[in-house]
Amino acid sequence: MATTTAALTISSSDLVGDALSLTTTNTLNKAGTTIGLDQTTGMTKAYLTSTDTIDLFPALVEGSIAFEGKSSWVYICNKSEDEGEYALVTIGGINIGRLYAGDFLWMPWDMIESANADNHHGDIEIAPSVATGMWFEWTCINEGTEWHAADLAIS
Amino acid sequence: MATITAALSVNSDITEYGLGISKSMTMNKAGSTNGIELTTGLAKRTFTANTQVDLLTAGSGVAADVTASTAAKVYIKNVNTSSSDYFTIGFGNVSGSATAQASNGDATAFQLGRLYGGDWMLIPWLAVGTTGDISIMPSNATAADPMHVEYMVFFE
Repeated sequence: MATTTAALTISSSDLVGDALSLTTTNTLNKAGTTIGLDQTTGMTKAYLTSTDTIDLFPALVEGSIAFEGKSSWVYICNKSEDEGEYALVTIGGINIGRLYAGDFLWMPWDMIESANADNHHGDIEIAPSVATGMWFEWTCINEGTEWHAADLAIS
Repeated sequence: MATITAALSVNSDITEYGLGISKSMTMNKAGSTNGIELTTGLAKRTFTANTQVDLLTAGSGVAADVTASTAAKVYIKNVNTSSSDYFTIGFGNVSGSATAQASNGDATAFQLGRLYGGDWMLIPWLAVGTTGDISIMPSNATAADPMHVEYMVFFE
């Protein structure tokens, strides 16, 4: 069994009157258990040269989402150093937020299926703000990834 | 101008070669190198029923200043210790009832993920319209055994 810990420290000496310091740590377990997550997509490093919206992980296929409701954790980082460049992160056609240069996110992901066949699957998507090239890193640590069968047609 | 730093550290033996993330970010205003200056402070909310509600409502309360052209970050933590009880976090319109709205099929609500005991998340927030609401629903909250969540918003 693997052990994965995620720690976060948020600090500021001048945001509020007294210094802000918040530290938290959790262990990433399979859904509803104390058994550690044991699979990962690995860390991807990518240079995106289009503003097209893309799926970060294999697209969820309606009717057969094997890991829906299981435990998955997603890390996405915009490695750009230009403060004007951002990536819009969406799920199911709904905006989560913008990752500006140097920003990261860390969040759970349920891989749920859309309520109808409108292609708003629970895929995690990003859209770079410029087509001149932006660096990104992302990974998913989970109970499993829905790897597609070869030559699968996804509508 | 304030300086807020968020440092993430992930360590794992999940692969033979290990997996580690060490990343620090400074929370800046949109398209700027000037730091975010506002926060809700760390809030704590108690739930005594399994009802899906807005944790943060776009355009309302502290979120009134959060728009598509400004930067905001949201931290949420399930401060319970149970490994089986969880909060479901989502975006958009919610039912306001005990029936979770995982996806309403018209791209106005979508379930993001679950926070089990001790789990936390840090995400950017584009609080626009009703789809910008952040919803929450406990899995096993009762008056006798409530569930608690802590959250904090950093915004322009």
